[in-house]
Amino acid sequence: MDYEALDFYEIDSLLTDEERMVRDMVRDWVDEEVIPNIENACREGVFPDEWRVALGEMGVLGAPLQGYGCPGLSYTAYGVICRELERGDSGLRSFASVQGSLAMYPIWDFGSEEQKNYYLPKMASGEWIGCFGLTEPDYGSNPGDMITKAEDIGDHYLLNGAKMWITNGTIAEVAVVWAKLGSEIRGFIVEKNDPGFTAPEMKGKHSLKASVTSELVFQDCKIPKDRILPGVKGLRGPFSCLNNARFGISWGAIGSAQACFHSAKDYSMSRIQFDHPIASYQLVQNKLAWMLREITKAQLLAYHLGQKKDAGNWIPEHISLAKMNNVDIALEIARVARDIHGANGILDEYPVMRHMANLESVKTYEGTHDIHNLIIGRHITGIQAFTREA
Amino acid sequence: MNIIVLLKQVPDTTAKISISSGFMDESTITKWSMSPYDEFALESALQLKQNCNGNLIAITCGPDRCSKMLTDAAAVGTDKLIHIHHEGYLDSIQTQTLLAAAIKKFEGEVIMCGKQAADTNSGSTGPGVAELIGASCITHVSEVKYENEELIATRLNSLGFEIISTSPPSIFAFDKGVKELRRPNVRGIMMAKKKEITRLTPEDLGASLTNSNINLISQMPPSEKAPGQKYEGTDSIHEIVSKLRDEANVI
Ligand SMILES: Cc1cc2nc3c(=O)[nH]c(=O)nc-3n(C[C@H](O)[C@H](O)[C@H](O)COP(=O)(O)OP(=O)(O)OC[C@H]3O[C@@H](n4cnc5c(N)ncnc54)[C@H](O)[C@@H]3O)c2cc1C
Repeated sequence: MDYEALDFYEIDSLLTDEERMVRDMVRDWVDEEVIPNIENACREGVFPDEWRVALGEMGVLGAPLQGYGCPGLSYTAYGVICRELERGDSGLRSFASVQGSLAMYPIWDFGSEEQKNYYLPKMASGEWIGCFGLTEPDYGSNPGDMITKAEDIGDHYLLNGAKMWITNGTIAEVAVVWAKLGSEIRGFIVEKNDPGFTAPEMKGKHSLKASVTSELVFQDCKIPKDRILPGVKGLRGPFSCLNNARFGISWGAIGSAQACFHSAKDYSMSRIQFDHPIASYQLVQNKLAWMLREITKAQLLAYHLGQKKDAGNWIPEHISLAKMNNVDIALEIARVARDIHGANGILDEYPVMRHMANLESVKTYEGTHDIHNLIIGRHITGIQAFTREA
Repeated sequence: MNIIVLLKQVPDTTAKISISSGFMDESTITKWSMSPYDEFALESALQLKQNCNGNLIAITCGPDRCSKMLTDAAAVGTDKLIHIHHEGYLDSIQTQTLLAAAIKKFEGEVIMCGKQAADTNSGSTGPGVAELIGASCITHVSEVKYENEELIATRLNSLGFEIISTSPPSIFAFDKGVKELRRPNVRGIMMAKKKEITRLTPEDLGASLTNSNINLISQMPPSEKAPGQKYEGTDSIHEIVSKLRDEANVI
């Protein structure tokens, strides 16, 4: 059954011609190259290298960045790309989010001219994969207390510490790593072959199986002086990257939800129980109607947020709301879709269980669901509730 | 060398077609696409353009909605876009008249099109236009190369492949080729957005649409397929085999 993207309010008609062309390009590629291969990639636990090449050739990596070989599209177009990629798989979208928003963006915004010229064209073309090291084994929601540290040893820096849960880590040529220099968080560009740096892969995931997740280990890792990102100090650095990635996720989750809705609708129309298609029963229709309702609301949130992002009048709390809501409903839609598929829902013949398992990670990374609640709570009340110490 | 590719926009193969008062109701079609054989013509035209350093012009004939398809063709590397604008029904002869006039105006030397359109299936555009402009016409082509000032076409016939050489002006009507179709990329899309589409009316081309002697009387959906038959268990093997042999003629 050909994919028909649910768009009840025809929100895509608000996109520009260019954004629609980019959408169709990515959607066709996902249909032809991703959907037929995704289950195999998950079974083998690999991110197919052809996908890296194709994303580079399509020119969608670092979508909203201008110059240095980057695409220079709108943020809305970036959202659309994430949505279409995540309709295929959240692991694929994770790859693109990390590359564009978490690895290219900090170099683009906070890097020196030399750093931008050196790294960005190769990252936009997909030749070099990037990763983003913020989370540590003991510091997830609370990265400000990280222990990875950098020391200034005169003609170079020495990095020590460990990062965990790092998407693309093992396959990356370039790692943007956040570490404390004295008491201040700074960004460093670490290259794959820097002495003292290893990136072992973390195995055994039940979620995002087609995405590589790694540890980054720094043992007296020596990096040249010109690899510090000169343009930012403190948590603002990693948080600005996260804002962009979270924006993409708020669109991406819709893609997963659309894929689950599509499969649930198809399945319920053809599955006969008690002599009639299960779609003809009120309980099932109620589920489908609820999915359509939540997807439509999520699409409106994402589109409006895209407009705000493109106009530059947004605050991080706007992004928190969309990330939190859209991932939340996508996960719930995946669960209900799984239910509608009955036993078939657990098979890899249908995409629903895969999306469901993927979205569990998406709910946790880039700020857990509840951390976004706390961000919005602080916005409403002016009182931070992250920690007991004020 | 001026290479021209003729493109037709047709209802997407996934679109639901409905009939109202005896004719297809276009307003219910939500998705339009480039006719699949035309996609092969376009891909081959792009390759030939690279091969002979030519200038590639895409021409379509039809209502407003067709310009999107021209922009899509620009996104993969078409140099010039021509939209012969006409709202409403055109029969094959009228379409060929308009296309032939445009080909003359833009001095097309090598013309490529699909062997038939996915909606009408008439298969007359290539031969019909060739007749009007006095060009050779080679049908069921899968590949065209430019070598030593000659055009070398590979065509598939019922016996195998045939290699044919010809010189311009020539029309090649494409079958499904062996090649993969290229995908656009963001850079192409951004350039395509800026590319101007030349819009022409039949009058601009000095073409008369009165030379037609065809009348479309009515259209109807294909008759519904008979429902499938289902057999379970080993008891039905004999029946299945005889049906496959005598009714379906597959064994
Ligand atoms: C597949 C995957 C890929 C990832 N990729 C990357 C990457 O590329 N780079 C990177 O740096 N990180 C990455 N992460 C890490 C991710 O960002 C963290 O997992 C996330 O920030 C949560 O941290 P944690 O897992 O330590 O959970 P914790 O912070 O320990 O949270 C556990 C639970 O406690 C809750 N909680 C925490 N603090 C509070 C509080 N104050 N009040 C109420 N509840 C609270 C949380 O909401 C959650 O429910 C990835 C994670 C996964 C699963």
